[in-house]
Amino acid sequence: MTNAAVDTARPPLGLAMTSLLRADSIVILNSKTSLVLSTLLPIVILVATTFGKAQSRLGGSSLIIGLALTLGLLTSCLLGFTLALAHDRHIGVLQRLRVTPAPNWMIMTSRLIVQVATNLIASVIVVIVGAIVHGLTLNVGQYLLVIAVALLGAAVFLAIGQALVGLIQSTNAISAIGRLLMIVLLLLGIFGGTGILGDTIKAISDWSPVGALMTLFSDVLNQSAWSGQDTGSLLACVAYIVVFAFIGIRWFRWDSR
Amino acid sequence: MNEVNMPAQPSVLDISDLRVAYGARTVVEGVSFQIDRGEIFGLLGPNGAGKTSTLSAIEGLVKPKSGRLLVDGIDVQKEPLDAKARLGVQLQSSSFQAELTIQQIARIYGGLYGVKLSREQIGKSMRAIGLEEELGKRFKQLSGGQQQRLALFIATIHNPLLLLLDEPTAGLDPQSRRGLWRRIEELRGEGNSILLTTHSMEEAQAVCDRVAIIDHGVLLTVGEPSELIDKHREDPRVLSVAHGAPTLEDVFIGLTGSEIRD
Ligand SMILES: Nc1ncnc2c1ncn2[C@@H]1O[C@H](COP(=O)(O)OP(=O)(O)O)[C@@H](O)[C@H]1O
Ligand SMILES: [Mg+2]
Repeated sequence: MTNAAVDTARPPLGLAMTSLLRADSIVILNSKTSLVLSTLLPIVILVATTFGKAQSRLGGSSLIIGLALTLGLLTSCLLGFTLALAHDRHIGVLQRLRVTPAPNWMIMTSRLIVQVATNLIASVIVVIVGAIVHGLTLNVGQYLLVIAVALLGAAVFLAIGQALVGLIQSTNAISAIGRLLMIVLLLLGIFGGTGILGDTIKAISDWSPVGALMTLFSDVLNQSAWSGQDTGSLLACVAYIVVFAFIGIRWFRWDSR
Repeated sequence: MNEVNMPAQPSVLDISDLRVAYGARTVVEGVSFQIDRGEIFGLLGPNGAGKTSTLSAIEGLVKPKSGRLLVDGIDVQKEPLDAKARLGVQLQSSSFQAELTIQQIARIYGGLYGVKLSREQIGKSMRAIGLEEELGKRFKQLSGGQQQRLALFIATIHNPLLLLLDEPTAGLDPQSRRGLWRRIEELRGEGNSILLTTHSMEEAQAVCDRVAIIDHGVLLTVGEPSELIDKHREDPRVLSVAHGAPTLEDVFIGLTGSEIRD
């Protein structure tokens, strides 16, 4: 018996990758919440803080823009990406993809590429709006540095999100813990950093993901000289990425039981 | 099938001594069987017997604890992508991305299997399975029968050597079920082999060339449906549940017991 009609060739990886990127892009563009979280919410903060004394109380416009950028990354990576991944695992999308001849790493990489690209575009929009409404003039170098820090920030929050889906199976639990974690990180980063909660909290805050990123963003926007604090923040971010990505990959399960 | 001096064509599927465990719990133990070209093979067993776990091992979704799995002579564990390129899969429970339309699903999954489909080709294929009106809809918006037809279309999009269907008729109405049986016959005519799981003895007898009965992770018997009835017709366990001449269902109940599984 001949099987001329039956196809046994392994499909080209390039076509598989384009298909995955296409799927993930359609999904992210269709997910209104993700776009709102990563762009609109930060812009609302930028605009709202131009009124009244909010600016000086929170530490100047560069810190506000830093906060807006950090918030956009935090919500879209820690909530958007993480919940979408947990949901796709729950309903079996990941398993459906895994039985195709696309390698596992490619399925994950495609999601990450689309997510990070969205974050970078959103960050550029946020910083442009921020510079306009807060009257800052930024040079090309600063824009590039903002993009670099945004990349770092996205990696930190994606790693934390990956650790969540790695350690927790239930989509509902991931959703609840993700939200809680987001609020804790945000409050710690913002209010802990002001020192009103005492020195210990301030130190923890400065080293926390949100605090470290806000330091880096605001120093880039201020064009302040590279400080020991910046080195510390950078190292903290790298450490978060390494530790949480390791946990998230090591214990990640593709199936939902 | 092969002349003595011709190189033997490998079986489409060759499973030997497969063992699958989740943690400390073994759910598939010492399973061995082969599937030939153009053959429709049914894996029968009560809930929790290990059917899906056996398929998962073939699909590369779970790593077997031991045993050998060859698809067209290719070791599934050593060359997973080459093996997957030969497999068409319809999972028992799975879904496509909720945000994608039917049109996009066809295009994207085609690409994942190396098949580039134009808008016209997709339109034509969807017309053939009665989904031409649904091209702009999402997977969730389809009825059960429509979802099954789309899932089967995606599973066969690259004309796979071996098609794995996990309880493909579960939840379908009789019309859809017959429609699926017809499609399965057509696929066999085109040279594809099929491994399907089912609870339905009627289905096993209607479409399967050979069946295996599995329970508690162990294969109890393998053969043509009529052969199995002959082979086990004197078995007291089968006789005790038969009303009149033993049927395949009597053999099934006789071998796997009357206890209800969840
Ligand atoms: N991912 C899993 N983790 C732990 N146990 C599982 C998993 N999948 C299946 N099982 C268990 O393995 C046994 C066989 O399941 P399965 O292969 O799905 O049976 P079937 O498809 O025949 O109904 C069942 O007892 C089931 O509870
Ligand atoms: Mg099953």
